[in-house]
Amino acid sequence: MRVGYLCTFTPKELIDAAGFTPVRILADSTPISLASAHIQSYACIQARGSLEKALRKIDVDAVVFTRSCDTLMRLADIWEIATKMKVYSFEFPTKIDSTSKNFLISEIAELAKKLEEWGGKITFDSLKESIELYKLLEVELAKIFDEKPDYELLFKVQQMKVKDALNELKSREQKKSKGGPKILVTGSVCPFLDVMKLFEDVGFSVKDDLCTGTRFFTFKYPEMELRSVEDCFRYLAEKYVSKAECPTKHYEKDRRFERVLELAKDCDGVVFLLLKFCDPHFFDYPQLKQKLEEIGKKVLLLELEFPVIEQLRTRIEAFYEVIMC
Amino acid sequence: MIVAGIDVGSLTAKCVLFEEKVIAYSIAKVTPDLENTAKAVYSDAVKKAGVSAEYIVATGYGRNKVSFANLKVTEITCHAFGAKSIFPSCRTVIDIGGQDSKVIAVENGVKNFVMNDKCAAGTGRFLEVMASALNVDVSKLGELDEKADKPVNISSTCTVFAESEVVSYIAQGEKVENIVAGLHNAIASRIAAMAKRIDLKPDVVLTGGVAKNKGVKRALEEILQIKILVPEEPQIVGAIGAAIVGKNYASRGRKSERF
Repeated sequence: MRVGYLCTFTPKELIDAAGFTPVRILADSTPISLASAHIQSYACIQARGSLEKALRKIDVDAVVFTRSCDTLMRLADIWEIATKMKVYSFEFPTKIDSTSKNFLISEIAELAKKLEEWGGKITFDSLKESIELYKLLEVELAKIFDEKPDYELLFKVQQMKVKDALNELKSREQKKSKGGPKILVTGSVCPFLDVMKLFEDVGFSVKDDLCTGTRFFTFKYPEMELRSVEDCFRYLAEKYVSKAECPTKHYEKDRRFERVLELAKDCDGVVFLLLKFCDPHFFDYPQLKQKLEEIGKKVLLLELEFPVIEQLRTRIEAFYEVIMC
Repeated sequence: MIVAGIDVGSLTAKCVLFEEKVIAYSIAKVTPDLENTAKAVYSDAVKKAGVSAEYIVATGYGRNKVSFANLKVTEITCHAFGAKSIFPSCRTVIDIGGQDSKVIAVENGVKNFVMNDKCAAGTGRFLEVMASALNVDVSKLGELDEKADKPVNISSTCTVFAESEVVSYIAQGEKVENIVAGLHNAIASRIAAMAKRIDLKPDVVLTGGVAKNKGVKRALEEILQIKILVPEEPQIVGAIGAAIVGKNYASRGRKSERF
């Protein structure tokens, strides 16, 4: 069985350990038609495009919706009504503090139960293995992205079992960065590979803070020995609350801003690549932009719906000229 | 050195031959064959000037399709350099073209920019559609604006919806002059919203084909409460800027096709 998910706070380890294939659902360039009967046009293209895919044809039997933005939460309800897929809402805590970990552990246990209801079987051995394999995958992806981001690879490995993903990594050649001024691309999801390619085409060396980029594999790993399924749940809870920050969560202090500012330090500019109607990111934008400008960074805002490539190219090239001038 | 700046926009292509100043220029309608459009507008400028260029810079949406150009630069950078060469006091450029509008903060080159290209709102195309709905020539919009006594409110800047508002005003018997002035105000408010996102500093220079329309200048001055400078031939500012960028670039001995 293939189990879909949209939010990267979904513990894929559990799905994999249950014997299912975790599949990241991302919008593509399919024009929105059927989805419009269920969701308003002022929802982001990731929500509308994913639903459109689900209504046309998608090779997924069930979907785990993880609490993140309001749009995705309501999309879970729509999905349940409009498709024949099994749907489960995984309640990831919105407020991340000392109290959230225990809550998350119980939610992880509930998700495990649900996956077994769906016919999966989670054992200590299978869960421990999935946890170890995902860590391997994430560490490897981080190394690759450090050298040069490879979004095509990242999209691909999110469509397969973690074991196959690791094999996929082995069979590839490391690409070398061409250099050029460095930019940080920050935002939510960018399901369009040709947009990611534009930055490089224009001459930038890219670093990202995207949910379809480094945020997929950036965690701090708890140091603990795993002796039982309960240990594994605790481990996953610790791992996922340490995941690279997302604006749909409330952190103690300004963890997300701190991370973006830190990432931007060695960059010549910062590009906000935001999906139109993405509330969590747009509410953060004015303040984060100001903070970035205060540390001397040039900032460009790109708003995406269905990307019109040449118009985007003009903006990105102009930003390149601003930096090079 | 004689440099050609070719600005292939969404509606028109412009070519300027430039040495210390503009030697000659040409403006032509854009066809889907961008390369040939660029060739034709260049040949025409060369014919007028009686000399050809040693170095060619392409800008505008079609820049990457001009294979005979030595350098390709975005129209954002070119408008900044072009406006600054005409008005050295320029700190902000508002460029309203056929398909998009931009507000550019100018320092030594471009400091910052905001660009609208989502739709025809606040662009030359917007005015063309409205002129046709009003059955007037687009070049007459400026004169009509001067005769307005009570501009109507156009609440939507969406070209499609604004057109139905215009149709509604016509049905109500509203004076064409007041509708035209209302349309100019709608464009200006759209631009003002963009200008607020960057630090708008005087002097402000209005460029692009729409700058030929006095009504847009009037509306912008009212809403921004600032005096706006318009070059004699605002449509070729991008092409002039392209030539200037090319001159600087070539004199530094740079050879790459990109900045």
